[in-house]
Amino acid sequence: MNPSKYLTVSAINKYLKVQFERDEHLQCVFLKGEISNFKGHTTGHLYFSLKDETSKINAIMFQSYAKRLQFSPTDGTKVLVMGRIGIYEATGNYQIYVEEMLEDGVGNLYIAYEKLKAQLQKEGLFDSSHKKILPKYPNRIGIVTAPTGAAIKDILSTIKRRYPICETILFPSLVQGDNAANDIVRNIKKAEQYDLDVLIVGRGGGSIEDLWPFNEEVVARAIYDCPIPIISAVGHEIDFTIADFVADHRAPTPTGAAEIAVPNLIDVQKYINQLKIRLQEAIYKDIKYKSLYLDTIKNSFVLKTPMVLFENRQQQIDIINEKLNQLLLQKIDYCKLKLDTMKNHYLLKNPQQLYIEAKKQLKIIIDKLQLVNPLNILNRGYSLTYQANKIIKVVEDIDMNKDLSIKISNGIIEANIVKVEEIKDEERN
Amino acid sequence: MKKETKFEDNLAELEKIVNELENGEIDLDSAIEKYTKAMHLVKECDDKLKRVEAQVNKMLNENGELEDFEVEN
Repeated sequence: MNPSKYLTVSAINKYLKVQFERDEHLQCVFLKGEISNFKGHTTGHLYFSLKDETSKINAIMFQSYAKRLQFSPTDGTKVLVMGRIGIYEATGNYQIYVEEMLEDGVGNLYIAYEKLKAQLQKEGLFDSSHKKILPKYPNRIGIVTAPTGAAIKDILSTIKRRYPICETILFPSLVQGDNAANDIVRNIKKAEQYDLDVLIVGRGGGSIEDLWPFNEEVVARAIYDCPIPIISAVGHEIDFTIADFVADHRAPTPTGAAEIAVPNLIDVQKYINQLKIRLQEAIYKDIKYKSLYLDTIKNSFVLKTPMVLFENRQQQIDIINEKLNQLLLQKIDYCKLKLDTMKNHYLLKNPQQLYIEAKKQLKIIIDKLQLVNPLNILNRGYSLTYQANKIIKVVEDIDMNKDLSIKISNGIIEANIVKVEEIKDEERN
Repeated sequence: MKKETKFEDNLAELEKIVNELENGEIDLDSAIEKYTKAMHLVKECDDKLKRVEAQVNKMLNENGELEDFEVEN
């Protein structure tokens, strides 16, 4: 026999391990079974096996997954697990490395939760656009939770610490068990009749069954339809119930809900003081700015030395005066000049010139007159015959009874008419 | 009774006046008038917060009345 063809144990185990890891079906296995020989290790790792009526498989759940369990597993608990199947080389055993484990009874609850969640989401009940805004300074807060237990205590103590000036009304309600859902709905409806600014609906921590009422559709719709802004506070940080999706605001815990619902008094007072300071600064700055502005105006030269305005006017007047004088002098000079020239004028210098001139002119005129003088003709023997101051040109003009005055060159003859004789045309020439 | 919204309104108005004064385009007379009103609002808001009533916690009992509620601790 050839020794080299024999494998070692670890070689065969290693080979099988790799085969398991290569098979993708084994990487994510959903298993249903009952827990037996459960051993929780101090390190937090859980060792147990899962069995059904006829078969068994080893199981291990590492601490990192185990800490997220919502229930404490014990022998006999029916569970649903999800994990990976692999070989532990050292022992050659195969086992399931469990990542998630739920109580089997819980399984169908979980399915129902997912179904309702999907349905309400489709209906739009989760849309943020429907979320109402929480009032910043609530006057009266309604609380729907159990009258006993940590939740109400935490809420009230938080409110008392942060914002004691607001009033709270508790609507005591069942928060667990079959008829809790209806009780919650009834209390929400009742709360609507009160003049509330915000409503906290919730409870303390618990298993998925404990929190189940907050996953019921009736509660979800009651929260959605409630006109008062609702803060949901169900269970612990990690628990998300349908109520949380539907509420106007989701708080991780009841205390968180109170912190969201009311502002912190100290912060509000600080804020108001801040406003006061900003106010005083603003008005101070405004007045300072305006008074500075006033100063600049006051210092303006016009107000400081008003005379400046008049000086300008004064100056203007002087200028005008001066100009006036100049003009006047010029005028005078001009006239003097003109006078002088006139005085030296040839005529003034020898006025007789005018006289001679005039005499000459006169003579000319006289001569002209002489020429046209109708009486010259008398010098040559002609005479003018008047009757009643009217010159007689034709015999027809004569009035036999009146005398005639005949004007000759150097006198007038008065005559009376003896006879008048008309000479015809042909003879007259 | 809507006492709180009054507080909320006062605070909103106070904020409005502070903003108005801070951006400054406001004539002197109305600035002073608004300032006095604002200081009045500050006092009112302060008083409101100082006047800490004993926290009033009520509970709705079976026959539908509000009774005082004390947390047993």
